[in-house]
Amino acid sequence: MKDTLRWAYALNQWNFRLDVFVRHSDQLRALKTLSACGFDHVELPAGTGRWDNLARPEVILLNHGDHAGFLDFLRRGSVRGVSSVYWDPGQPVEEEGWAFRSTANRHDHDAIVESAKPFVEFCAGVGAEQLVVRPVGSAWMSPPPDAHGLRTVGELWNRVGELAAAVGVGLALHYDCLGAVHTEAELVGLLEATDPALVGLALDTAEFTIGGIDPVAFYQRHAGRVTHVHLKDTRYADTGQEYRMPGAETTMLRGGAGRRIERWFFELGTEGGLVDVKAFVAALRSRAYPGWVVVESDHGGNPAELAMLNSWYLQYELSVAKS
Amino acid sequence: MSERRIKWSYMDHWRSNGPAGPVDQWHSHRTMSAFLKQIKAVGFDAIDTFDFRLWQMYGDYGGPAGYQQMVQDHGLERIVNTFHAADYDLRDYAPHVPETHERILEDFRVTMGHWSVIQLDNIIVMPATLYYDMEPVTADKLKITAELWNQVGEITAGYGVRLTCHHEFFCGIQSEPDIDTFYAYTDPRYVSLFVDTAQHCIASVDPVALYRRHAHRVSGFHFKDTRDVATGDDHRHRPDSEIMAPTTGKWFYEMGTPHGLVDFEAMMTAVRDNEYRGWISVEHDKANKDGGDFSEATAVARWYAANVLEEIYR
Repeated sequence: MKDTLRWAYALNQWNFRLDVFVRHSDQLRALKTLSACGFDHVELPAGTGRWDNLARPEVILLNHGDHAGFLDFLRRGSVRGVSSVYWDPGQPVEEEGWAFRSTANRHDHDAIVESAKPFVEFCAGVGAEQLVVRPVGSAWMSPPPDAHGLRTVGELWNRVGELAAAVGVGLALHYDCLGAVHTEAELVGLLEATDPALVGLALDTAEFTIGGIDPVAFYQRHAGRVTHVHLKDTRYADTGQEYRMPGAETTMLRGGAGRRIERWFFELGTEGGLVDVKAFVAALRSRAYPGWVVVESDHGGNPAELAMLNSWYLQYELSVAKS
Repeated sequence: MSERRIKWSYMDHWRSNGPAGPVDQWHSHRTMSAFLKQIKAVGFDAIDTFDFRLWQMYGDYGGPAGYQQMVQDHGLERIVNTFHAADYDLRDYAPHVPETHERILEDFRVTMGHWSVIQLDNIIVMPATLYYDMEPVTADKLKITAELWNQVGEITAGYGVRLTCHHEFFCGIQSEPDIDTFYAYTDPRYVSLFVDTAQHCIASVDPVALYRRHAHRVSGFHFKDTRDVATGDDHRHRPDSEIMAPTTGKWFYEMGTPHGLVDFEAMMTAVRDNEYRGWISVEHDKANKDGGDFSEATAVARWYAANVLEEIYR
């Protein structure tokens, strides 16, 4: 995309279980699809294990030799680079003995900082601008954080931010609609508990909307803290308590209970979309937002189809020139 | 930027999954819109379609002009070509059977009337019946067939549309000598050749050599790939060997597929050498077979066109 904004696409939707997105030829088809859609940078999601070979730095390097080898691989699909890497330190991984860690637990902080190092180094090695992280665990697993709790979490991310900044990588906290930091006040509280020089915010338009936060208004108020964007739409907002359902990852987001909504995330321009995408992008433009705008299908349907529909929306509704 | 000598059109085939299960793009306005958006998003300039969609165009869009408006509302230029997929029948619709010609001619008079509200480049036909309905293929049958298409071509030319022939591997005129004889019998003013790269490969005809030999007669292309050559009786299966041939479940793949038999770089070089200007249609008929996906195949094909073929000629 040739635009004043920098556009990338998230690869997470292709990898919906551990053994479906492993062959390099399949990955190249996804990269070529994104290239044909006009995207030349991708966001990688973290994962675990040898099948997740686009997800763990050491596994990527095992597959491609070194950072340059990985970039050469991307370029075979006409993708020039990596915008960002998404990582959730609360997600147990095989490489660390399936340890369950919480950013709210100060005793876990040293281990989380240690876990962050390979991702930070990988981002620096491939030129990815942002390490995007889930700042807190799910709300149904813990009480809402108080000021002390936010300070604890903030301390951790300041440490990781310092680590990242030392090698020229940004750190962006990604708000999601299930997180223990849920309300706008809690989110602002978390941001205030971090050093703006070290820690930014990844604003995800659909996650904000589902969680009851207006992404346009929030951006207008806090533009200086937003260093990363995930752009996607939703047709639904949480009624107010669904995110607290036990096992909300499946009971809420996969329709296992409550209103039984199986699909929350939609392509840009979807009928009945709640995100005012045009207003949000106009706000980014008006403030000369300098970061990456990562378009994301998340888990919403056929990955190639959604990438193509998102590309059409960018070209014909947002007037983004493809080339 | 210099003027583009080649533009890319996408041939109508499509499948997707929705709330109603697997459907094609003609299922609803919504599915058509999604199809057109995807085609345009990856850089196609136009679409091709089929004549058998005419009635849906009338029912759903008010006719060919209304459907073309739908196409244009999604950023595409227009409908470039239509494929007249006739249901050949020895009793009343068979190009090598002279007694059926008047019905065929009347069919084209009516069909062209429908299309006259928009400007097409080509109306594409399979110029012969299914192979097993025409064999043995003789010079006389080829001559009778050619005479029919000369007349049909004169009708379509009256509408400013070229009549062009697409040689499926299972049609009566698919071997290299029969194709050459057929074009020797037809009038270049009224009958053109539409090169389908995969169909010719499947029939053991080199599409690049064929094109180079008949370049002055060629009015368009279907660029698609195949991994298999027809063997034995593959070309003799009712109703359609593309579906029924026992040796091969999936004949067609998008350009750039591993182990593809079409030498697209040589093809594009030949297109360049002959200074062809105009439309190339991309097709990957039945791409959804064996786990394939139309959206992805279309994007990958357009990637191949942009990153490989346009480096040769654009």
